[in-house]
Amino acid sequence: MQKVTNSACEGCELNQASNLKKLGVNIEDNNYVVALAGNPNTGKSTVFNALTGLKQHTGNWPGKTVTRAEGGYRYNEKKYKLVDLPGTYSLLSTSQDEEVARNFILFGKPDVTIIVVDASRLERNLNLVLQILEITDKAVLCLNLMDEAKRLEIEIDDRTLARDLGIPVVPTSARSKEGIPELLKIVHQVATGEIKCKPHRIKNVPKNINNAIEKLRLEIEKEYPNVPNSRWIALRLLDGDERIIEAVKTGEFITE
Amino acid sequence: MTNPVTSLIVFGIVVVLLFLLFYPKSGFYWRIKTSFKNDTKILIEDILKKLYHAEDNGNTLNSNDIINSLNSSPKKILETIAEMENKELISFENGDIKLNDLGMDYALRVIRVHRLWEKYLSEKTGFDKKDWHEIAEKMEHKLDSLQAKELAINLGNPRFDPHGDPIPTETGEVEPINGKPLPTFSEGTIGRIIHIEDEPEIIYKQILAEDLHIGSHIHIIENNEKRIIFHSEGEEFILAPIVANNITIFELQKEEISEENTFRLSKLKKNEHAKIIGISGECRGEIRRRLLDLGFVINTKIEVDLTSPMNNPRAYLVRDTSIAIRNEQAKFILIEKK
Amino acid sequence: MKTNKILNISNDLRWQIGEGFHDKLTEGIYSDAATIAQNSVQKKGDAKRFRFDRSLDKIVTSKVWGFPIMILILSVVLWLTIIGANYPSGLLSDLLIGNIYPWLKTIGESIGFPWWLSGFLFDGVYLALAWVIAVMLPPMAIFFPLFTLLEDFGYLPRVAFNLDHLFKKSGAHGKQALTMSMGFGCNAAGVIATRIIDSPRERLIAIITNNFSLCNGRWPTQILIASIFIGALVPENFAGAISTFAVISIALLGIFFTFMVSLFLSKTMLKGEVSSFTLELPPYRPPRFWKTIYTSLIDRTLIVLWRACVFAAPAGAVIWLISNVFIGDSNIANWMIIHLDGFGILLGLNGVILLAYIVAIPANEIVIPTILMLTVMSASITGVGSGNGVMFELDSINATGEILKAGGWTLLTAINLMLFSLLHNPCSTTIYTIYKETKSVKWTTVASILPIILGFIVCFIVAQVWRILM
Repeated sequence: MQKVTNSACEGCELNQASNLKKLGVNIEDNNYVVALAGNPNTGKSTVFNALTGLKQHTGNWPGKTVTRAEGGYRYNEKKYKLVDLPGTYSLLSTSQDEEVARNFILFGKPDVTIIVVDASRLERNLNLVLQILEITDKAVLCLNLMDEAKRLEIEIDDRTLARDLGIPVVPTSARSKEGIPELLKIVHQVATGEIKCKPHRIKNVPKNINNAIEKLRLEIEKEYPNVPNSRWIALRLLDGDERIIEAVKTGEFITE
Repeated sequence: MTNPVTSLIVFGIVVVLLFLLFYPKSGFYWRIKTSFKNDTKILIEDILKKLYHAEDNGNTLNSNDIINSLNSSPKKILETIAEMENKELISFENGDIKLNDLGMDYALRVIRVHRLWEKYLSEKTGFDKKDWHEIAEKMEHKLDSLQAKELAINLGNPRFDPHGDPIPTETGEVEPINGKPLPTFSEGTIGRIIHIEDEPEIIYKQILAEDLHIGSHIHIIENNEKRIIFHSEGEEFILAPIVANNITIFELQKEEISEENTFRLSKLKKNEHAKIIGISGECRGEIRRRLLDLGFVINTKIEVDLTSPMNNPRAYLVRDTSIAIRNEQAKFILIEKK
Repeated sequence: MKTNKILNISNDLRWQIGEGFHDKLTEGIYSDAATIAQNSVQKKGDAKRFRFDRSLDKIVTSKVWGFPIMILILSVVLWLTIIGANYPSGLLSDLLIGNIYPWLKTIGESIGFPWWLSGFLFDGVYLALAWVIAVMLPPMAIFFPLFTLLEDFGYLPRVAFNLDHLFKKSGAHGKQALTMSMGFGCNAAGVIATRIIDSPRERLIAIITNNFSLCNGRWPTQILIASIFIGALVPENFAGAISTFAVISIALLGIFFTFMVSLFLSKTMLKGEVSSFTLELPPYRPPRFWKTIYTSLIDRTLIVLWRACVFAAPAGAVIWLISNVFIGDSNIANWMIIHLDGFGILLGLNGVILLAYIVAIPANEIVIPTILMLTVMSASITGVGSGNGVMFELDSINATGEILKAGGWTLLTAINLMLFSLLHNPCSTTIYTIYKETKSVKWTTVASILPIILGFIVCFIVAQVWRILM
């Protein structure tokens, strides 16, 4: 029994590693790969620097990090590779930076995705969060810029938020490194499976569209039972996303 | 050293020659290039289209009508018509030309490519509305039905082209348009624009200049032989009946009417508050998606935040963030003032 | 095929749903977001933006102050860069060319290098590298951090906001104002910066026209030639002012060409590409000074410098080789100069200048040293320079002027050189960067050829008109 699980797991590790290599990320010697996603101007790169200590440039300007920046850190004897994705408003359009971010989360299958949001503009940022949660269920919400939110007299009940979203929420002010130790800990717990996420799925869609999504989702699951984000793939197919249509043809997303 | 005057003259001659050769459309290079094309096929397809449109409107055409409406020489046209009769695309009935089933199929295929291509231009490229028709006129002769199918799939099997015309399906089915020309409605009618005819070009350009959009709600104020006045999206429009005749309206029932207080975002003034009620169907493709992604979504509160020194673009406060867009885009966003 | 089945079902469903899928989905996501946010967010104040941000924005985007503030800031940045770079540039050139270069030559001699090896390595490769580093590093090390500070503070998006209308008139994007300004520092960096433009058509326009921003490698050439030839036209008191004016006019001419070429491209080759403008104006955030300086040095300056060095080294080798490889009586350089001279004169330039621009494609920084070396060589001037293929520059502006005049330069040559320095192909670093950004041979070719054709035409017309009038 022991042996069987081992070999199965080895298989999946291997598969994931080969996919990541294609995307240009080398994960040898790293125990976990963590992706950093978020809207532009949410202090995402500051979070990246606070986590890695690497002096990556932090840009107050959308679309700064078109190529991914990478860094690493150690926590609890484990090595983490951190990949900073381009800041995007959404993953539904087809601009270059959105594709980089989307492809990494979908095909790279990071062990954890940290989603950085601006606490003072939570509602707007949730657009991206909810989309990411359709793709991956191992995510942590980093509620950044809490200091600015405080100055605007905005209070956020992070527990309710965590319950609604179904993923852990960590309030931070990355500039002053507040909340970073907690973030490291939670990421570790999600990576190791200590915390299981039950992410929110998009609900408020009209009935005819929802029916179409469900119909297509079932069809995908019938053919590929192990695909975790079949609903999201169905969504993208219905939206005519050429990259995903291509991926369905080549079977690229099936790496479980 | 060469004489400067001579060299300037030589230079000038070279420039003029290049201009004559490569000037878009009328340059010699392009003319020669187009004259080599197989034009019988194009002519056949153009004649089929004429016949289809005529039958669609309940009219009939004879050979003379076709000669008058096309640019080719009468001799060439008559030869082509004879050839078409041979191929059983058409047949004669009391001098009038009728489409056979075969010809009807062919015509629908050409129209399908034309409308698909217009759809493609509107969704995936930045060509101006007034250029769509002309480009599609060329492309309709180039794509075969397999390529058309691929294009249709790529576009998500659209049902209507950007002018509101139905796109024939692969099997040749055409959805009817449930509307009537604007001048047929009485004063006080409220309706929705569902189709704007793009031929003839002179009238189409006039409609474009008025900045009317498919999907806009209109309220007819005055309708007589001289002019038609109606309100749409917070603005008043005055059209001549001949122009208005090319706009098709679908009448709305009272309960369907939501927006009397509708304006375009570009008309929002500083310190006014408003709510977004939609993005016009005229705003398509990537641009539409980007606006949606940025939070220009139904029921979002919106106000003007900043105006740039030259009044365009303006920045709007949408979901707690200042987003700048050009007035040309803002006019596609419909709002309700508070 | 089971995948085909999935795709077929999806196509059918798409037809059934009709249009508006994307709209409905986005609306759904946002309404979910609103529900979630309502549950957990409590707003006590009603401030939507910081009061400071609002007041600052009112000033920097105002009708009266918007443009003056922008011009002032850009001038200060450029002024600091050009003036501030002089001193460290001098130091570096003393060190690399004044001290290390002779030292290397001595070492070469003592190890017993043959003349051609030490010539190739030290006179060719090393000197080119040294020159690029000495001239390029200091201005970039000043310009990029300053630019990055403005960027981090949040000012640059406001510049794009203010200028969009002007750029739109030529079919371009407001953010091109930023990539254009970045081009004043370095065209390669300017081309990379076009990533911020999310509209494909406008991004291509910005890439192709970036070369019309006078970059750091060209400012020194402009200033040197202007002070030798144009400053000399007026009494000494005004010399500084008039030559500064000439250089600024060239830079403004570059901006003019940016607009004209943008307009031309958007009406012809780029007709039909999607175009849109959306821009978030983010809250102002105080930049962290030292960190920004450190990271922009690493991120931008060193990367660009490294690329330039990679291209400059072989150029140095080529320059040395063409001056030292003989075919018959004449070396390759002289042979090329003689053959290029006719065309050069027609353009109001000369063969030396054309050859210098051909071999100095990798970096504009080495154009002047190459011109000086080639002039001395081809005109057989004695007493200056250090031999065939050894680039040099003189401390004295007058002495440099004497050499150029001895090489047959006139006021027309000077003016046309300034024009040609603005309007010629981008340096190879930039060409390479354009290719990496566009992934298209076609657009890389257009971006490389278009400016030089313009340069030929402008120089030609100026030369002929000048000759008719003078």
